[in-house]
Amino acid sequence: MSLYVAAFGFGLVSMSVIAIAAVGFTMQFGITNMINLAYGEVMISSAYVAYYLNRAGISIWIGMIGGALFGAVFSFLLNRILYAPFQRKGTAPIGMVIVSLAVSLMIANLLLPIVGYYNVSYQNSTGDVLRAGSIVLTTYQIGIIGVAIVLMLLVHSLLRYTRLGKAMRATAANPTLARNCGIPTQRVIDAVWLITGALCGMAGVVAAMNSDSFAIANGAAFLITILAAAVLGGAGQPYGAMIGAVLIGLITEFSAAAWSPQYKEVVAFGILVLVMVLRPQGLLAKRGAMAAAG
Amino acid sequence: MNSFYAANLLVYAGVDIIACLALNLQFGVSGIVNFSFIVFQAVGAYTAAVLSMPPDTAFGYDFQFYFGGYHLAFPLPWIGGAIAGGLLAIPVGFVVLRKLRSDYQAIALLVLSVIANTVITNADKFLNGAAGLALVPAPLSDQFDPNSNGYQFFYVGLTAVCVVVVLVLSSRLVDSPYGRSLRAMREREAAAIAIGKNPVQLKMTVFIVGGVIAGLSGAVLVGFIQFWAPSVWLYPETIILFAAIIVGGRGNNVGAILGALLVPVGFEEVTRLLTNASIGLPPGVIPAMEWVAIGLLIIGFLWFRPDGVRPEQRHVFEDAPMLGDE
Amino acid sequence: MGAAGGTSAAGNSILSAREVHRHFEGLRAVDGVSIEVPLKQITGLIGPNGAGKSTFLAVLAGTLPATAGTIVFDGDDITRLPAYQRARRGLVRTFQLPSEFARLTVLENLLVAAPHNRGDSVFGALMGKRYWMEDERRLVGEARALLKRFGMSAKESDYAGTMSGGQKRLIEIMRALMLHPRVLLLDEPMSGVHPKIVEEIQHYLETLRGEGLTILMVEHELHMVERLCDTVVVMAQGKVIGSGTMATLRKQPEIVDAYLVG
Repeated sequence: MSLYVAAFGFGLVSMSVIAIAAVGFTMQFGITNMINLAYGEVMISSAYVAYYLNRAGISIWIGMIGGALFGAVFSFLLNRILYAPFQRKGTAPIGMVIVSLAVSLMIANLLLPIVGYYNVSYQNSTGDVLRAGSIVLTTYQIGIIGVAIVLMLLVHSLLRYTRLGKAMRATAANPTLARNCGIPTQRVIDAVWLITGALCGMAGVVAAMNSDSFAIANGAAFLITILAAAVLGGAGQPYGAMIGAVLIGLITEFSAAAWSPQYKEVVAFGILVLVMVLRPQGLLAKRGAMAAAG
Repeated sequence: MNSFYAANLLVYAGVDIIACLALNLQFGVSGIVNFSFIVFQAVGAYTAAVLSMPPDTAFGYDFQFYFGGYHLAFPLPWIGGAIAGGLLAIPVGFVVLRKLRSDYQAIALLVLSVIANTVITNADKFLNGAAGLALVPAPLSDQFDPNSNGYQFFYVGLTAVCVVVVLVLSSRLVDSPYGRSLRAMREREAAAIAIGKNPVQLKMTVFIVGGVIAGLSGAVLVGFIQFWAPSVWLYPETIILFAAIIVGGRGNNVGAILGALLVPVGFEEVTRLLTNASIGLPPGVIPAMEWVAIGLLIIGFLWFRPDGVRPEQRHVFEDAPMLGDE
Repeated sequence: MGAAGGTSAAGNSILSAREVHRHFEGLRAVDGVSIEVPLKQITGLIGPNGAGKSTFLAVLAGTLPATAGTIVFDGDDITRLPAYQRARRGLVRTFQLPSEFARLTVLENLLVAAPHNRGDSVFGALMGKRYWMEDERRLVGEARALLKRFGMSAKESDYAGTMSGGQKRLIEIMRALMLHPRVLLLDEPMSGVHPKIVEEIQHYLETLRGEGLTILMVEHELHMVERLCDTVVVMAQGKVIGSGTMATLRKQPEIVDAYLVG
């Protein structure tokens, strides 16, 4: 039994990491209609930026900010240079998926010669171990949970209370209408990529912190978990992504305790398939997966 | 030594052509973005291996753990591989190809490809996990010596026969009313439905046919290299084939063949040349740059020349009036 | 295929909708619509923007599922029948926006719609040209006859995507005719079409009615509706607010207020 209580604790950390990532990912889709398959690679790149800062003696928490900045700029450029031009050209969503897959491949392989194949890890990234009953977490893991909570609150405030947030929601609902109402959609989209890019970068760093070690190859596994959380919650719905993250985080950790830690992504994939078969629009439905064929 | 090199090149070219013909049917003609294509080739290879190998308790094979091992003679393993590819297409297609929008379908298939590889890698006793299956018997190796020059040519001939058969059958599919229905579905699915086409059925049939051909390609390859492991069929392998179709030309078999020769085969050869030439680079740099080049090719062609080097040709019926008459 | 079923049980209407609803995300686009589409006539469906006309047409065709209600076609309840099967039974729709198969030739656009081609299955295709060539030739003859009738013979081998708006509209109608439909559901067939071609289309529709085709068409152009339609149904805000001939409708002040300005 205590195994599962401990798993619950790990689930809290997992869901925090996934939430930061999934919210960013789903907002990219919801507002710019872009399934950004390169998201995992941007996460890993940011993790490496933090790694190099960390090696230069900088604390990993500062490195997280560095990773977030890197993720923001990288994602912004990615959209400006590649995604937006293709979308302007009238490329269908399916074509954009192919483009983003090609991009993810390029990023991973451009990085490989630079950072190498071998796993790396952050120094002093664990902190002290705390216990509460059967829950065993390090202070850093608790820190991650804290960061996630803060970020979720920030995203919530952004969407709810700021003009930019309202503009984002309007653009997500109906871009043409939003533009006609005078919303500067181009600038809103730029802001979306910067903000979600920052979330992506930060997610990469905390994901790396939460692992014993990481390497370029982890990008694909991250992406699957994020996809599962985003689709489960309802594609394009930030609050859905949070719910999806909670569920995926808990379920994968429980399955790791009950079954085997190697199969965490398999469980996430299984959930993804179940959602697609039973309720493609996810928990908080929007236009989503059932949209006009093609 | 040279004939081995030539045979190697020709067999790989044949396998790539067969694979591209299948992917062209699914992607080029029908518009299904099957990002899990490599899994179908893998299932064909694994099936052919498991059918042709002796049981894992047999002498010389007991360092491996796998199911099956029926030690069947050629051509049964190849037929089995092709059938396995088609059978796998049924549940996968059933789950994915229904009412999902096409980008969701692509994502689901991509994830399937990653997960399948993970599962097989971790399931040590099923197909020998990460180590894979080795010492796969070459077809008719009890009659002929697989190490002889003559056998190499025999295998090339065998591959060529498969290429011709697949080419004839897939051409019949593409240049037929069925192929026309597939293209209509690709162009505008809602209108295809409005004229009585059942898109789910069309997608399932082309998915299964493509699966059969992909399975065959796997069987042909595994018989030659006599080895198959998860490292051979990682998800990016599918992307190479997509690059081939995008570069060579979508929706037509000539374009698919051209793409197969330019991309998978072309890259293999260029890598070989470069590896021999530049000694100074650290290992792994050239393959990594290869992947970057593949990505650039895809993006470049999608931007500048989405129809590929050899686009789909116009179907003109016999006795058609001259173009441009008024 | 549209069987030779003759008229339905309910008088001489071949298609009827009973209390059809279509709700989506809280919006009641179609809010309890009941109509009878009389056999071998052209019925117009008019109303202001957002009245739900196109949505209702889509529900009749099966493109969208009905939230509630019944649809009866030729005596059969087709409410749960998928769209492609409705087309095969002879209930064929066209679209408001151009929906040609762009990278198929004009002739291929027609050929692909024809049912009963032995080559239109995996088995038939694998058997090779000799197996299905006879069917194909017969259908090419049929398609070419249609092209000739609609004056587009010379364009047979052009890509449909390169045609003008009016030509695409004609292609869509010809394509639908290849299915030998009993009822045509036309969604704004004249929109975006050059006035000269509008005349042509009008003329074709009249001829088709003469040949026994039933047509239900959503249309904005009231002059068109007046000239062409035997009966008119007026919708507003998801409901039917009147039906009859244009003359009788003009006499009803609520309808004139709601919609008929011209």
